[in-house]
Parts: sequence; C-alpha cells; structure tokens
Amino acid sequence: MLNIFQRNRVIILKAPLTGEVIRLRDVPDQAFSQKMIGDGIAIKPTNPYLVSPVKGEIIKVFPSNHALGIKTGEGLEILLHLGIDSVELKGKGFEALIKEGQRVKPGERLVKIDWDLIDGEIASTISPIVITNMEMVGGIKLLTDGSVQSGDDLLAVTIDLPRDNFDKLKD
Amino acid sequence: MMVRKEAIIKNKTGLHARPAARFVQLTKKYQSELKIICDDREVNAKSIMGVLSIGAVKGKKIILVADGKDEKEAVAEMVQFIEDELSAIDQDNLAKE
Repeated sequence: MLNIFQRNRVIILKAPLTGEVIRLRDVPDQAFSQKMIGDGIAIKPTNPYLVSPVKGEIIKVFPSNHALGIKTGEGLEILLHLGIDSVELKGKGFEALIKEGQRVKPGERLVKIDWDLIDGEIASTISPIVITNMEMVGGIKLLTDGSVQSGDDLLAVTIDLPRDNFDKLKD
Repeated sequence: MMVRKEAIIKNKTGLHARPAARFVQLTKKYQSELKIICDDREVNAKSIMGVLSIGAVKGKKIILVADGKDEKEAVAEMVQFIEDELSAIDQDNLAKE
C-alpha cells in the first residue's frame, strides 16, 4: 500500500575527508558507536579540509566550528563532526569557510582544520559522518573500504520520499 | 499558553554527544512544540542536530520552552534532566574509564 504514496531515492554521499574509513562501532565515543545520534560512517583524516558530501544547505555551524549540519533537497540531515571531544577545544584549530544558510555543492570546502595543532589535545581525530534523521532512511550502504580520497563515493543512502516531494525532485 | 523556564548546565560535558542523545529521546515523547534558547540561538529540542548545535557547555544558561497540550510536564522533565540527570551521566562515564 505504501508504495502508492512513496518512492525510493538513493543519495550518494561523497567522502568529506581523505583518510581511513572507520566503522561507527569503532569510534571511541558511545554517542556515535552506539548510533545514538544516527547511523553512518567515520574517517580518520589525513588532509586539512572538510568538504561537502552532498548538494545541500548548511543548516547548522556549531559555535566552536568543530561540527556542522547539512540538509539535502530531499530533507536528509547529515552531521559532520570533526574529531572526538573536540567541543572542548572551543574552536581552536577549526576555521569555518561557510556560513549557516549557505548552499553548497559536493566537494566544496567547508572547514579548514589544523590537525597537527589539536592532535593530542582531543580523544581522537576520527570524524563521524552521520544521518541524524534516520526516520526517513530505508538503508545505508558503504561504497568503499580501507581508505578514501576526499570526493570519492562513500555511502549510498536510500530514502523514502512522499510522492509530492518526489514529483518535485525527479527532474 | 506557553511555558518557559531557565536551567544552568552544570556537568562537564555539557549538553553534547551522549547527554544530547538522551535528552532528545526524552523530548520526542511529548506532543508540544519544544525549544531550547541558548545565547542568541533557538533550536528544536526534539532534533539531535539542533540540540548538539547550540554548544551548551558547562556554566551556560539555557531557556527551555514548551507550547502545547503537555507543555508543563515537558518543561518540568527537561529542567529535571538538565539539573539532575546530566551530572549522573558524567559520573557514569567516569566510572567506565
């Protein structure tokens, strides 16, 4: 019955960082490893720029610039969190290159990070990438393993769309 | 009608990560519209993205707002969580380390 009103759509998330792909269960923070915030993946970064994984709008830039939220046209909300316990740095090492409300393209630079400056002051540089509104997600598939280059295909997220939205978005 | 009440963040982690996830589990059961105001930011208290993004660290004063059928209960439980349970989560984390 639901299929009459809903359509599936797959959104590809590009890798927002270069580095080693880490499963969420291996992230040293329970909020992420137990998927309390949402589902996704993490990267242990080796490059200094966080780039956008999707086309969307910046909905939140955290006050200390260590995390931000992006919403796609379909309504998917993605949290990009740089490092673990990095809120305690109060902004040190993070330079935001975008503002709230700004529209971004995949691969566009969002935050510049000085990992050398902050490594050793935070629990880990491992950076989770999680979908925070999982109620609209049907499934998530990892498209790579080992390590990724920033901009590579990382995740395929299947979402359920109400028909109205689908008709608006399908072109 | 609308109910609003202040609370002070007293725990070390603030309303971040695990505490924020717990907080949202609690707020989602209410029908009322729930908001948190911190500094000049106002966010949906039922959205994990919203709650995380206010940067409610130790010592911050936040205002909890509810509007709807169960607004009194919602504000009472949010305040109780911020003032009592947050420190308990910190204790719990320390015990595991």
